[in-house]
Amino acid sequence: MNPPTENALGAILLPTITTSRLRCFFMPCRYLLSALSLAAGLLLGVPCGSAQADEGRISFMNDVVPVLTKAGCNIGPCHAKAGNGQNGFYLSLLGFEPDEDYENLVKAARGRRISFASPKNSLILLKGTARLPHGGGQRLAPDSPEYQVLLNWIRQGAPYDGQSAPKLVNFEVQPSGGTLQRGAQVQLKALAHYSDGTVRDVTRLALYESNEEAMATVTSDGLVTAGDIAGNAAIMVRYQGKVAVYGAAVPLGAPVTNLPEPKNFIDELVFANLKQLGIPPSEVCDDATFLRRVTLDIAGRLPTEAETAEFMANTAPDKREQLVDTLLRSPDYADFFANKWSALLKNRRDSASDMVANFAFHAWVRDSFLSNKPYDQFVRELLAATGTVVDNPPVAWYKRVKDSKQQIEDVAQLFLGVRMQCAQCHHHPFERWSQDDYYALTAFFNQVGRKPSGVRGEDLIFHQRGIATAVNVKTHQTLRPAALGDAMPDIAPDEDPRLRLADWMSSPNNPYFAKALVNRYWKHFFQRGLIEPEDDIRDTNPPSNPELLAALEKHFISSGFDLKELVRTITTSRTYQLSSVPNEHNVADVQNFSRYYPRRLQAEVMLDAIDYLTGSQTVFNNLPVGTRAVALPDNSYNRSVPFLAVFGRPEGASVCECERISSSSLAQSLHLINASDIKSKLASPTGRAAKLAKADMPLEEKVRQLYVVAFSREPREDEMRAALEFLNEPQTDSSGQPLDPQKVAHENFQDLVWALMNTKEFQFNH
Amino acid sequence: MSLINRIFWRAMQPAAAVRFSAALAAAWLLAAWTTPVAAQSVCLPSPRLLTIKPMGGQAGTQVEVTITGEELDEADELTFSDPRITAVPKVNSAGQVERNKYVVTIAADCPEGVYEARAMSRLGMSSSRAFCVGTLPEVTQTPGNHSLDKAMELAVDSVCNSVLSVRAVDHYTFQGRQGQRVIVQCATRGIDSRAIGVLVVADSQGRDLMVERRGGAIDFTVPEDGRYVIKVHELTYQGGPEFFYRLSLRELPPGAPIPPLPSTRPVNAFSWPPVGLSTHAATTEVEDSEAPQRITLPADIAGRFYPAADVDVYEFEAKKGEVWWVEVGSERLGLPTDPSIIVQLVTKNGDKEQLTDVAEFSDIPSPVKVSSNGYAYDGPPYNAGTSDAMGKLEIKQDGLYRLRITDLFGGTRSDPRNEYRLVIRKAAPDFAVVAWPLHMGLRNGDRNALSKPIALRGGATMALEVVAIRRDGFDGPIELELENLPPGVRAQGLKIPAGKSRGIMLITADVDAPRGITNANFYGRAVINGETVTRQGYLATMAWPVRDAWQQIPHPRLMADVPVSVGGSEAAPITVAPAKADVIEAVAGSKVTVPLVQTRRSDFSGTAITMKVFGDGFEQAPSVKVPLNADTSEVVFDLAALKTPPGEYTIALYGGAVAKYRHRMDKLQQAEEAHRKAQEEVNALSEQLKQLEAQAKTATAEKQAEAEDTREKLAAQRQAAEAQLKAAAEQLKQATATAAPKDIAEIVVSEPIKIRIKPAETK
Repeated sequence: MNPPTENALGAILLPTITTSRLRCFFMPCRYLLSALSLAAGLLLGVPCGSAQADEGRISFMNDVVPVLTKAGCNIGPCHAKAGNGQNGFYLSLLGFEPDEDYENLVKAARGRRISFASPKNSLILLKGTARLPHGGGQRLAPDSPEYQVLLNWIRQGAPYDGQSAPKLVNFEVQPSGGTLQRGAQVQLKALAHYSDGTVRDVTRLALYESNEEAMATVTSDGLVTAGDIAGNAAIMVRYQGKVAVYGAAVPLGAPVTNLPEPKNFIDELVFANLKQLGIPPSEVCDDATFLRRVTLDIAGRLPTEAETAEFMANTAPDKREQLVDTLLRSPDYADFFANKWSALLKNRRDSASDMVANFAFHAWVRDSFLSNKPYDQFVRELLAATGTVVDNPPVAWYKRVKDSKQQIEDVAQLFLGVRMQCAQCHHHPFERWSQDDYYALTAFFNQVGRKPSGVRGEDLIFHQRGIATAVNVKTHQTLRPAALGDAMPDIAPDEDPRLRLADWMSSPNNPYFAKALVNRYWKHFFQRGLIEPEDDIRDTNPPSNPELLAALEKHFISSGFDLKELVRTITTSRTYQLSSVPNEHNVADVQNFSRYYPRRLQAEVMLDAIDYLTGSQTVFNNLPVGTRAVALPDNSYNRSVPFLAVFGRPEGASVCECERISSSSLAQSLHLINASDIKSKLASPTGRAAKLAKADMPLEEKVRQLYVVAFSREPREDEMRAALEFLNEPQTDSSGQPLDPQKVAHENFQDLVWALMNTKEFQFNH
Repeated sequence: MSLINRIFWRAMQPAAAVRFSAALAAAWLLAAWTTPVAAQSVCLPSPRLLTIKPMGGQAGTQVEVTITGEELDEADELTFSDPRITAVPKVNSAGQVERNKYVVTIAADCPEGVYEARAMSRLGMSSSRAFCVGTLPEVTQTPGNHSLDKAMELAVDSVCNSVLSVRAVDHYTFQGRQGQRVIVQCATRGIDSRAIGVLVVADSQGRDLMVERRGGAIDFTVPEDGRYVIKVHELTYQGGPEFFYRLSLRELPPGAPIPPLPSTRPVNAFSWPPVGLSTHAATTEVEDSEAPQRITLPADIAGRFYPAADVDVYEFEAKKGEVWWVEVGSERLGLPTDPSIIVQLVTKNGDKEQLTDVAEFSDIPSPVKVSSNGYAYDGPPYNAGTSDAMGKLEIKQDGLYRLRITDLFGGTRSDPRNEYRLVIRKAAPDFAVVAWPLHMGLRNGDRNALSKPIALRGGATMALEVVAIRRDGFDGPIELELENLPPGVRAQGLKIPAGKSRGIMLITADVDAPRGITNANFYGRAVINGETVTRQGYLATMAWPVRDAWQQIPHPRLMADVPVSVGGSEAAPITVAPAKADVIEAVAGSKVTVPLVQTRRSDFSGTAITMKVFGDGFEQAPSVKVPLNADTSEVVFDLAALKTPPGEYTIALYGGAVAKYRHRMDKLQQAEEAHRKAQEEVNALSEQLKQLEAQAKTATAEKQAEAEDTREKLAAQRQAAEAQLKAAAEQLKQATATAAPKDIAEIVVSEPIKIRIKPAETK
């Protein structure tokens, strides 16, 4: 055993870098993110345990490859870059293909990377230590143990032990979790278990990443430090294709008393978590706030004046439950959720001839929600769609998503919350999914037959009889359909494999299907999923409240995948009804739902809200006057109505909800301040400002109406006073002559409406 | 006007009926030329009945209908495919015929269904429009019912005839009582409408409760007494006169089956049912059966693809050497299904059952290549094939067999309406034929040919493409015949050769054929097992002319009858005919020369038509050029190259030519005549005035006063005549513009040519 001294370590330590979420290391993958952070170089650790680097024989598999991985040589932007690596030197991503790596390191390029005659002058060492110019800079310090591992291996003749090397069978991190007071530290220990029964401490060779930098940071050698913000954080630890997670609960420790009376299991589990973390929740919001919030979240619109009056006058103790039921019965619920889903299902108009298919598909989604079709049935009808678009609209999905690889990637991400994209080309770096898993999943879609239909550009979809198979493009092995992590009995040639996939998905034991949906819907109502991002469910990305997620999942399955019941359960909980106003303790809480997290209205909802407030309806191509923006069938309207594009309405290009831009921008502010469509809405002669200017009613009543419409509440005294002062202010022209009172009234009301429209209270759901 | 045109139009003048005032006709012409006719740069104008409103009526009542269409000016007759429906022109209170309005009488014994309506125009019988006969009282839509507050009140047990407007939702209301079962249905595609109908039942506030978008019914049980709303709109909110629908609202007792709305039949329905199939199947599928259903062969089974992913399994014993034919009908019943059949041999391996595939039957493909994109021609836009299945089952060994039948479109759909009829029979060789007007690649595609009626111009030959579905191994030739034709019309079938699937029917009108209409009998005839078999053929059409195949989904369908008509008002731009009616004789292996006569009645672009050949034995012949600038020509076929064996042959030439078509030449001639007369009148009055003024110079004072009086009268008359001349000049200008030569690409088919090939003499 010859561990490096602290000084030696200190000398080779590169500054700890902030690692953001790493999703894929391989260039063609869609989610190539901050691999560069890794490229900055984490050069740490030394093998210890039974196989000593400097005493016994060095293992290529278990010693050399981990060194290359820790040094960042084999990440996507470096030598694992798709195609030819860097400057002709290619390594497999994260060392998943050691056979290839050995060939490339030792034999390729006439063996020039290794010098047996003068091991120290091997190109791999000269470049890695930057003694020769190296695009990636210095990856190895000449006096580091890692350098020594490589040097000794070359000195030993650079042997290959692919078959004989003990296999890594298990990987664990110690401790696996615990409570960590703010500012406290814990050193993680990473242990690799091999097939020969040996265990090695690979703490310094493992790679670490925190999912919540604000709550817990981790250094490259596994030292975790709790941050200032209370909550649940996870540290992902990776080593040679295996992953382990350390879960840290960082408590605030404030007294949690006077909790609201729980309405259902959601409250019990959320409040239990808050108690554990010592984060007192905000109070339950008032009726007006609840009305506006839940109407926006379920129906995608502001409450009407009449609805506000009726709700406020209702004295029934269960009036909030009544309201939720009324909203769920309304077609507005179906419109709003169809809007959400049809974008995720890529209902995109690429040509004018797509119109019939797009309208039909959107309508099918909408009608499914209207009739409260069970979610498993909805997905089943989509996955296994057959026939023509007009006769069976979910066939339109097959018009948009034609390739079986794209089909499984979309299905996995959207309905299972699993991202399979990486596994098309290599073993998933954070997950257990291999290329075999990927292609076995595509096999479910490989018997989808297509016949020409009478409609240009559209196929008839049917199950083509035969045994479904797919070929792993790397191994050329033929695979039968297999569900993720689950065996799939043989599928007869007559049987549509997609139906079997749907059966598997909707099975009560499926670990992903219900979880993905409840997490997605949770995020819809709380702005943040219990797992974030909502479609990236994996062992290494644990939920912030696992018990709650499990309970929601169980409830959803036992309800028969009843979406309305799920929405009802969420929105009638006290948790959903907590005020967005923070108390002194929970202002920093962003993941434990101790308060409602306000969020900007989405593009369509805001446009509808502005239409309602200004009393001027936006007219959309090909649709009847009065059609709401949330009822638009496809993305084509983003072009004809710039407001929608500016406020981030998605184009239906991906299955990720992240395509919808929820953030604010200067363009949005400018649009609301002086875009021509906003101006014309305010100035419309039949709009609300014009009507109020002309209306024969007390000025107070007019102001009251505007506040009720915009905020679903009465104006406060100071607001009323300010509004009246403004409206009563005498207006004169440049020569001091009083202006036409009617004109002044119209302009004043336009200004008042405009001012209300530009408040956060209007633009946010809170 | 060219000399040829003058001769042509003068020759046709007597047949042109003039029923309206010149002014009215001119105004119409102007409108017509700027709207639908302008789109016809391909194919000469054809009469097309596009809308009939209302679209139907209750049996035993009289209905006043209004028709619209193309080239329907001077239409004076509305006919139906069933004699129990009759129509007379509407006469107003002043005793005048109201244009395009008819009073339709539906006999009380006329069964519920969809019938063909057509109008007889100056160019012949129009294309067809569906006309419905029902049993419920009918009303027509209150215009403007596009919002909740303008919803139209509808009685339960009634039918409303309506038309969708662009970007509008039609609203209706009805009173429901709690527990009442109300069936709401909307007929669109099945009655030739262009609409994809969406039907919604909503509460009194207009909030949607149930939606139906696939042509089915809304089965609504009224939750509580009150007012309910029905909304109807087009899937993409299209609208206009061709987007019509019939909304039916009827009460049914709980549990009673919902009768489907009557509908036109799909094109592929021509091959169903097999001749002799009984109305009701001998066996019915046993649903929810775990074990295979035991049957004996032959078998005739009625089943359904229900619930979703239904697999029906039948089990039977069969002996080695047996040959069975399996056929299933489902899509041809008008259902959105795709039946698939697998037959498997069941053997035992110990206790384990082993299944071995023996046969697989799926689609019956179109016997000819179907148009792949509906624009440029690479096959007809009609598909005679079907997703139903048919095939031969040869039993290779004694044993137990299982037949599994599934709907390839039914994996996720639970619709009990999706029925099938499965027939397993001993070979019963047979055939079915269907025809449609020939399409071919023309200058701008052939989109407008899609709904061409058999309305012949004098001297024209029209070709129908005929396609056969053959059953149970029948492989022989099929002769094609068309009988009961109008006077001056002849038909010649070019047979479907042995082993082939396509033939041609030529229909020729003499140049002087009078206006006439008959309902023709179309059939195929073949010798099967030594017996002559005759099968009725069907004619297919497009429900509406497809002007933009990129945007519109074509809607082909079968027609109930085969009307053949001659307009009698125009002649074909050109007639290509053999110089002599005699059979041309030739010796096998030699060259045969066919002398032709080209009778031209129009100017053309280009100097020749490139023509191909129809007819067994000659279809491989290279294209020939038939001159457009000569009255006669010769076509030579190399029988050695064609390897046409000795025998009797009938062929025809076909190709496309661009005629300088002049629309409504009869109106131009009328306008010219009127203008000439008006000019003569003005001239005569001017001459009289001139003479009077000359006489006045030498007349006495007394006479001069008298002459002045006369002069004033004449001057007034001339002023009136000049006004008339001006009006006539205006009309002439319009008629001239209308009749300005317009390039129109048209299919030209020669009259049949008969050739006898004798065997070469052997030495």
